[in-house]
Amino acid sequence: MSLRFGFAAGALIIGLLAAGGAVIAPLSAQEQVEPSKTLMPGKDSDLTTARCIICHDATHITRTKLSRAEWEDNIKVMIARGMPIAPNEIPLVVEYLATYYNRDVAPPPADAPAAVATAPAADPVQKLLTVNACTACHAVDKKLIGPGFREIAQRYRGDSGAAGKLARKIREGGSGAWGPTPMPPHQHLGEADVRAMADWVLQQN
Amino acid sequence: MSHKMIEPSDSRSRVSRRDFMAKVAGAGAIMATGASVPNLVLAQDAPKPPADPAGVVPNASVMTGKDAAIKIHSDRPLTASATAEYLSDDITPTNRVFIRNNLFTPKFEEATHVVEIKGLVDKPLKLTVTDLKRMFSGTSTVAMIECAGAGRTAFNPMPRGTPWPPTGGMSCPKWHGVRLADVLKAAGVKSVAAHVGFAGADFGALSTIPKVARSVPLSKAMEEHSMVVFGMNDGPLPDIHGGPVRILIPGWAGSASVKWVAAIDLLDAPLKGPYMDSSYRVPRHPVAPGSAMPADAVSAEGWPIKSIITNPAPNEKFKLGKPVLIAGHAWVAEAGIARVEVSFDEGRSWQSAQLNAQAAKYAWQTFSYAWNPRSPGFATVLARATDSNGNTQPIVTPWNPLGYYWNGIHRVGFMVEA
Repeated sequence: MSLRFGFAAGALIIGLLAAGGAVIAPLSAQEQVEPSKTLMPGKDSDLTTARCIICHDATHITRTKLSRAEWEDNIKVMIARGMPIAPNEIPLVVEYLATYYNRDVAPPPADAPAAVATAPAADPVQKLLTVNACTACHAVDKKLIGPGFREIAQRYRGDSGAAGKLARKIREGGSGAWGPTPMPPHQHLGEADVRAMADWVLQQN
Repeated sequence: MSHKMIEPSDSRSRVSRRDFMAKVAGAGAIMATGASVPNLVLAQDAPKPPADPAGVVPNASVMTGKDAAIKIHSDRPLTASATAEYLSDDITPTNRVFIRNNLFTPKFEEATHVVEIKGLVDKPLKLTVTDLKRMFSGTSTVAMIECAGAGRTAFNPMPRGTPWPPTGGMSCPKWHGVRLADVLKAAGVKSVAAHVGFAGADFGALSTIPKVARSVPLSKAMEEHSMVVFGMNDGPLPDIHGGPVRILIPGWAGSASVKWVAAIDLLDAPLKGPYMDSSYRVPRHPVAPGSAMPADAVSAEGWPIKSIITNPAPNEKFKLGKPVLIAGHAWVAEAGIARVEVSFDEGRSWQSAQLNAQAAKYAWQTFSYAWNPRSPGFATVLARATDSNGNTQPIVTPWNPLGYYWNGIHRVGFMVEA
């Protein structure tokens, strides 16, 4: 538009379009489109969901389309506000958001190879750990907010009651064993899932 | 799909036989007691947030105190507002005051919730709300509270953040409490103090999530309308609006009016932290739409001149031959309203509206105009306000990365029937 009319005229036209359209005020009732409560499936959509929904529902993303620069900027703001994310995950989450919620570029079609390739989970327990936001605070081999899974497995080595203790810890939460930062309770998890997670953690020795 | 156990034909929920058997074996003891078998396929569902911490007021309970005109924009964190046609009251009723949480809605009691006054003071204080009520003389004021991002959806392209409708995210209730200046004086402000920080006691899903905290210059904190608030519209301050105690920094971006305030910190420089250094910032000079926040951006302070049309409601119907009442409110943070004009020909000509008296320094001011349509048809009204410094509302507010300070001219369409 600015190329056709020149910069000043372009800006004026944009202003007038805005004044005449829905931007200043709708002149008829606007159809309210409910934003999706889940992210578009694609490479690293589960990682992005797991990291983001700890603090806010997915509609904060699904109703939004931003430029790549804005997404990069936004992740910095979210990290400042306490988003738990490992450094190597930051570019993955930015890439997902800038691919699927980009103002300037349409998302790839749902059945594109990139989307399908990421769908199968490597291990069902790992998937449990991701979808329940465990991996927001715990990695296998290093401390994030909470201790690494390997560190936990090593502490409980040789303890025959370890699985039960760990399962209780997952369900009820607590603090003190690894420092003052408390682990939140996860009472919505099924007992069998909790036990499967505890067993898996103890195998990371 | 959440309750299906195994769907071998669906590749997305496939669980290998080896994994499944291993899991069943691992859960043998639980199965023997009759508990459920491993819910492996649940793992295919979307990721879930951690459980809410204790002491959270559920959204459903918050919303029972709200009018049907209040629409939810986000469940987590809770944000909700009513649009202009529901905001015609000079004093916004509590059930139409907008909601903007950053974290959960917490529940605290006035006898036990403590506000700490600390930092560059002679005598640090720790006061409960009961203490505050006893020690200082009460005051009230009608004042604007408005989210920095109010009206954000009017920007094009829409920036990130709460999708406030073009006229949502602003309210003008009556506030009851004590003057912030009185509380600061009781603690003895040291001469080197230049800013006052406020931190809320609300909390997020993880203990590592930082507290909501903003600071304002000391001069604004000492202004007589800046308050420590514990009441709204002749009632107690509801939990959702910061009860039992919050700060009011009237006319400024709402984030400075910290809810559930737990700390008042006298500082020699602006507070550091995410709510100062990465949110609530505006570019010093306009940037191209879609740009990142420039490094030299400044902190959001007072709202510029703004107005909304509350009457008529969009698409309201009128009969030709009777005057149509046009009404609305105009406000600006740190000046007065000089005039409000209305236009019925898309801005080609403007007429002066009548201005009612202002209830208090930071209250919005109601304007009205009786319009006599000469012919039937669909009509529009535009309103534009000008402040006492000569600043007039723009047609469109310059775009900025966080979508703050929308104050573009409001326009409403309605029908005049023959």
